[in-house]
Amino acid sequence: MRKLNLKILLSMFIINIFFISVLFTIPCHGALEEIDPNFGKAPTIDGQIDSFANEWDEAYKIQTNLTDLPINLWVMQSSSKLYIAVQIELSGVVNRTSEFVGILISNSSSEDIKDFIDAKIIQFSNITENEFDYFDYFINNSVFIPDSASNGNGAAKLEGETSTYEFSIPINNPQGSIDEDVYLEYGELFAFNITYGLTPSYPQGIMKSSIFLININYPPRSELPLLKLTIFVFTIVIFSLAVVLYGFYIYRIIKLKEIMERYRR
Amino acid sequence: MSKISKSPNKKANSKAKQAFNEKFAYRSVIISVIFGGIFLIISIFFNIEIITVFMDKNVLLDIVDVLIKTSVILLFFFFMMVSIGNYKEIVGKPISWREFLFLIVLSLGQSILNLWVFIFTVLGIIIILIYLYLTQEI
Repeated sequence: MRKLNLKILLSMFIINIFFISVLFTIPCHGALEEIDPNFGKAPTIDGQIDSFANEWDEAYKIQTNLTDLPINLWVMQSSSKLYIAVQIELSGVVNRTSEFVGILISNSSSEDIKDFIDAKIIQFSNITENEFDYFDYFINNSVFIPDSASNGNGAAKLEGETSTYEFSIPINNPQGSIDEDVYLEYGELFAFNITYGLTPSYPQGIMKSSIFLININYPPRSELPLLKLTIFVFTIVIFSLAVVLYGFYIYRIIKLKEIMERYRR
Repeated sequence: MSKISKSPNKKANSKAKQAFNEKFAYRSVIISVIFGGIFLIISIFFNIEIITVFMDKNVLLDIVDVLIKTSVILLFFFFMMVSIGNYKEIVGKPISWREFLFLIVLSLGQSILNLWVFIFTVLGIIIILIYLYLTQEI
């Protein structure tokens, strides 16, 4: 009897732990990858990855999926901005008039849906005519509210069957609408939910998404190398010498005129 | 038959011609040195990188930047070379190798902040020297 009671007690304890653990589980997406963006030359945000201008060359580039949609993802950083480019190839899709790619930003590395409070969205209104809009939203309990002041920049372009979306998001910038935007601080890790959809209704229109963790790196110290400094000092010396000698030469020319006049007399 | 000698007239003519040549050479010295000075000032602004409007934007503007920097240095070199050459002609001495090298060093020294500007300046100076050598009266 005692043994049976113990068994019942033990099974109740296990069931209890199981239920409690289920209650504590928060519905969230699995983080695919942690990205450590490289520092690089700021690209032109025009929806075009210009290889001739070596745009995005220094970026961290991966081929990944938004749910089951394959994309090319570029992530790059400067001291003041985070640059993200998404390229999607949809082969065989006809009569696609609208499309969007959005970046939902969590206020930390938390992947909890409630922590994604900021959204930057590029929405094609007429994809064949390359007509798009860039939106900056504040997310409050899954309700997308337009920011009072739009932060960041975005552009998109459709070429053939490939659509390219380019975003630039300010980092380490406490100015602007702090309540409406995530303050991306140096040295912190943030969760970014990259989303894809067609119709301009958020979040209902989101069809595919994946979460990435992006580290906002401190800018590299701009130490002036000794060689560069030496060359710069040498250039200054050369120019100073050139100016001094130029002045001396002018003096010699004036003297020459005096000599010539004396000689003529 | 005339008994008056023609030589004093000839002498006067050659003196006038020499004076005219000197005047012309002196004008050339002045005009060339003014142009040389203008290009030196422009070179200071571009080659010390005080003006950076064309730098690090895109490839096309980078090419424009290199072209401006190089041509400004080469024009400085050319005008200063002409000015010093004419100055020496008035004085009656040829340009020495020391002066020659000094001007080349002063010109190349302006371009060392940018490798492309340096390479094109070296090429430009060689072309100018060949041109000046070929146009000399032998």
